[in-house]
Amino acid sequence: MQIGRIHSWKKVTAQLILLALPTVALALYLLLNTNRFYSFLQNNWIEQGLYFTTGLVVSIIFYSYRFRFITTALLLFGAYFIAYKLLGQLSVGEFDAFFVSVKFLIFSLLFSAGWLAGYGFSRSRYFTIFWSVFLLGMQIVVVSKTSEVTANALISAFAPVLIYAFYIIYTSELIRNMNEDEPGFGWFITKRLAGFISLSVILLFSMLLIFQKQFNSIEQDWGGSQGGNKKNGGKESMTKQNKDGSLSNKDQMKMTGSLSKDKRLVFVAKLDNYFPDGKTPNPLYFTSTYYTKFDTATQTFEEDKNFPKNDLFSPDPSKIPLYFTKVDTAAITNTMATLNRKVISADIYKVILSPNEYIAPSTAFFCQPLPVENEYKKQFKSAYRAKMWVSDLNSAYFIYNPAGNKQLETFQQQRFQMLRKATSYDGLDKKFMDYYTYMPRNEEYNRITELATRITKDAKTPVDKMIAIRDHFTSKDQFGQPLFRYSDNPGIPGLPSASKLNYFLFENRKGYCAYFAGATLFMLRSLGIPSRIAAGFLTVDRSSKNPGWYWFYADQAHAWVQLYFPGYGWMDFDTTVPDQNTQQSPQPDGTPPMNTQQALMVADGEALSVDTIAKRVTMKVKKMLFHDENVPTPEAKDLLMDVSIASVTRDTGTGKLSDIKAGTNIVAVSYAEALKNIMANETDNLASLIVKLPKPAPVDEIKIMETEQQKKDREKQQEPASKPFDWAKALWIALGVIGFFILLLFSLPWLIWLYLNGKAKSDAANARIKAYNIYMASMYYLNQLGITRESQSPQQFAETADRRFGSNFNSFTNVYQKIKYSTTPLTAKEEALVQNFYEPFKEQVRNDIPFKQRFGSFLNIYNTLHYFTKSKIS
Amino acid sequence: MEQMTEQGIQIEEALDNIQKLVENIETVIRGKRTQIQFILTALLAKGHILMEDNPGTGKTVMAKTLAQSISGRTNEGGVNFKRIQFTPDLLPMDLIGSHIFDDVKKEFIFKKGPLFCNVLLADEINRASPKVQSALLECMAEHQITMGETTYPLEKMFFTIATQNPVEMEGTYPLPAAQLDRFFIKIIFGYVDEETELEIYNNYLGIANNLEHIRQVLSMEEILFLQNEAERVFIHAEIVKAVRNIIWDTRRHSDIVLGASTRSGITFLKCLKAFALVNGRTFVTEDDLQKITPAVLDHRLIYRNKDAKAKGLASILNKEMDRLSKLKLS
Repeated sequence: MQIGRIHSWKKVTAQLILLALPTVALALYLLLNTNRFYSFLQNNWIEQGLYFTTGLVVSIIFYSYRFRFITTALLLFGAYFIAYKLLGQLSVGEFDAFFVSVKFLIFSLLFSAGWLAGYGFSRSRYFTIFWSVFLLGMQIVVVSKTSEVTANALISAFAPVLIYAFYIIYTSELIRNMNEDEPGFGWFITKRLAGFISLSVILLFSMLLIFQKQFNSIEQDWGGSQGGNKKNGGKESMTKQNKDGSLSNKDQMKMTGSLSKDKRLVFVAKLDNYFPDGKTPNPLYFTSTYYTKFDTATQTFEEDKNFPKNDLFSPDPSKIPLYFTKVDTAAITNTMATLNRKVISADIYKVILSPNEYIAPSTAFFCQPLPVENEYKKQFKSAYRAKMWVSDLNSAYFIYNPAGNKQLETFQQQRFQMLRKATSYDGLDKKFMDYYTYMPRNEEYNRITELATRITKDAKTPVDKMIAIRDHFTSKDQFGQPLFRYSDNPGIPGLPSASKLNYFLFENRKGYCAYFAGATLFMLRSLGIPSRIAAGFLTVDRSSKNPGWYWFYADQAHAWVQLYFPGYGWMDFDTTVPDQNTQQSPQPDGTPPMNTQQALMVADGEALSVDTIAKRVTMKVKKMLFHDENVPTPEAKDLLMDVSIASVTRDTGTGKLSDIKAGTNIVAVSYAEALKNIMANETDNLASLIVKLPKPAPVDEIKIMETEQQKKDREKQQEPASKPFDWAKALWIALGVIGFFILLLFSLPWLIWLYLNGKAKSDAANARIKAYNIYMASMYYLNQLGITRESQSPQQFAETADRRFGSNFNSFTNVYQKIKYSTTPLTAKEEALVQNFYEPFKEQVRNDIPFKQRFGSFLNIYNTLHYFTKSKIS
Repeated sequence: MEQMTEQGIQIEEALDNIQKLVENIETVIRGKRTQIQFILTALLAKGHILMEDNPGTGKTVMAKTLAQSISGRTNEGGVNFKRIQFTPDLLPMDLIGSHIFDDVKKEFIFKKGPLFCNVLLADEINRASPKVQSALLECMAEHQITMGETTYPLEKMFFTIATQNPVEMEGTYPLPAAQLDRFFIKIIFGYVDEETELEIYNNYLGIANNLEHIRQVLSMEEILFLQNEAERVFIHAEIVKAVRNIIWDTRRHSDIVLGASTRSGITFLKCLKAFALVNGRTFVTEDDLQKITPAVLDHRLIYRNKDAKAKGLASILNKEMDRLSKLKLS
């Protein structure tokens, strides 16, 4: 029996090459991506791709014959079933059976997918649309589960599918509409496709170019701190990710829908703060910045650069040479704290924390960058020592629930007892008080005030009021359930006008630290207690091995309130209730990066020459520390150094000797024994000291400092990223681009007319070309004005036109036909007709059709399309 | 050069003659210029024409007028015009003629039938039995009749105007496709428009019968000359290509069961040339193609359904016309 064909081999070949091949390429790409994140028993994407390809190719060829789909699909399923049964009998052993059956399942799934796609390409006209939507949907699901929100990841995930979608819909339609018997079928398709592809490539690239900045901003807006292996579409995070992958605390605390967290190690700190017993470590929250102002318009807490009594010390550690120090004692003065204060120090080792970030318990006033020991250099990028003016009364333990620890409870009670002495804010600077007790006044805030007043009615002192507020957050409802719950995903209020804090306090009572801190702040301020929000990291003491060492993970990014007590200064309070759903970070603490060596010489300056072979560096020393003493430096001096054992570092990690160029700012550190016995006299200055040093001077560590130019470049790079995404601008640009294209589209008929008209008017080589140009222009003109030829013969059409315009188009058409199809030369009369026809004809048409109508007709792109569309056999 | 000029003059004269003939026929048959042109096209292409329409639309008058407009060699009043009314009981002999025993000569002599004429009007051809039909069509194709051992050639100018009633009418034997193929052109004669109809009635009331006053404008030689001239009409390669495309498209079209044959293509070219000449030109144009294609091809195709009959050929032609009209001239 002969089974009839639906498609010729030519068409099938076109389908295989133009539809199946790109589909297979995309399928392989998708399978490769999917295999990276999901486990399919055996991840062999090539094999899986092969299943799909086989299904696709066989199906396209199969369905080019007149087979029915349902019957054949049923047969296919029957075949699967029989094969499955046979496999069950063939395979030996339970594991084998399972293994084989899962493999078979993968095979049959992919093969069927290919088969279905093949059928669709072969028979169904609208299949490609469904197919594209399906692939796009699948990709959205996969990407949302696997990819991070970066412009590149999104582009690489979606661009192939999007391009494929456009391509496949266009191409399948092209192949469907082709008459494969027409000569030059292949060439025609190639031409069309080349045009289509080049157009889409141009469009895509111009889009990427135009919107690159916007993409990056979106990335910043959405990406947050996440990175890692989870996407956090639209979620807020307490940290932000910098361009180089390092973390910073967020500049703004937005009260948006949800917060997401990850568990990456951000930094490690050694804090020399102990309870009076001298043994028990007393952890402190690490502050990054303060939020002192609430912007009611944006519902955001803001960092105010000029808040009164600025006690925030925020140097850029990457700008300070190793071992050199930066101190700001104004911070101490501005704390206005004299009671129970002491100076302690902390060593901070950064992992992914930005090199520019300075983070320390409040109130810091000192920063000294330290080198990282060689063996830790892989993990820790940079380090610094911080010194703080801290209160004995402050402690992370005082902040959160002691949970039955008697010792801590005692400490807490003692602390509260002490703070109860501060009862009044009289005598404080009015400006200071006004600033730190400011809150917006409206109905919503009045509700907060009422609540605060109600729950603190029995409390007399500020600290008791604070405790009452904390107790409110930890209280239980009438069913014995916690009134407030911690949630990274508190949802958004139903009514858009309602303040989110109101919603949090009175309705949903779920939130993360920013909600608790924000609510507490307003309650305190409504009671006239000066307060502010501190953002940074909460400290968890998990280490019994290494007392005083603390590990900070990204999910420890935190916000809490600070209260001012006269004389005692700013105190941390944390009202955030514990998260009952998640376990506290169970990560084992690593080995602390102990720094045992003592720097004998530190030289800061500029490299003059580098000899990478002899391992010699000459630097122009501008500043020097020798045995921890500053060496007077009346003028810069050159120093030859032996760097054979020196390790080179930079803020972003380790470097190479070859990274040092002449002119690079470097800091050289030496721990060498040889320097131990060289002493600097009172009278020594840099020049005389260098004479004393061995030549070359042994150096153990060289740090490359960022130059101002490099810093500027980096900031410039980060600047647009930190700007919020300007949707309005993007919208205008998009509208502008679309508008331009629409304008272009509508002016297209006119532009074509300009071209044809110009050609018709110009002097052609001979009457033949001239007549051709005139005829084409006239035909286009009439067509655009709505007088279409349809199925009329040239003569009939010309007669139609002549009847309407009183022109002699018919005579011209006859001459033109003669030119076109005859070898007889034109008579002089006919020549004259060709030369004198065009302008009068246009004039006659213009006289008949008013300008308004002509203008409208020339906007009609449909007429133009009609003119250029090739008539098809129906 | 002189010869060229002479030829030029001859052509001018020939074209004039055609116009004279058309105008002459138009004095009797009003409002049928296109049909007259088609009939002359078939005549000049040395083919035959099939006219289909209801009775009483002027088909017979048309044929008679044409015959009477041409003067023959004999002075018997124009060319030899015969008319046969086809009926189911008609026999081939009635057309061809038969051998009759001559009492005087004591032998069978061949008594020529009506086929031995110049212009034959085969009325209601589809009412005769297939046997008769095929006999007629054989003669039309071969231009000769063979009886027994003797072959009798037909007249040099032998032109058949066949008419048939629409196939749907009762008592008809539809012509098979293979026989329809022998007619170069098939036209639907059609009714005249209202104005012309009134004119015809008035005419009838005024001067009794125009047909009797018809002038003989052309001689048979002139017709034969015109037939030769038609052969020499210039046909551009693009038009030939267009004909090829149209023929091929009819074979490819999914709703056309039987497409046009190669012979149809050749006929098509002949008709195009003749039609150009009838239109006063010595070269074929797009217009000729557009106007003549349905008349030449439609009756040769077998369509799958009525819809295809209505649109099939038109869309094929339209596509080709589209191509030609946008043909780049270099």
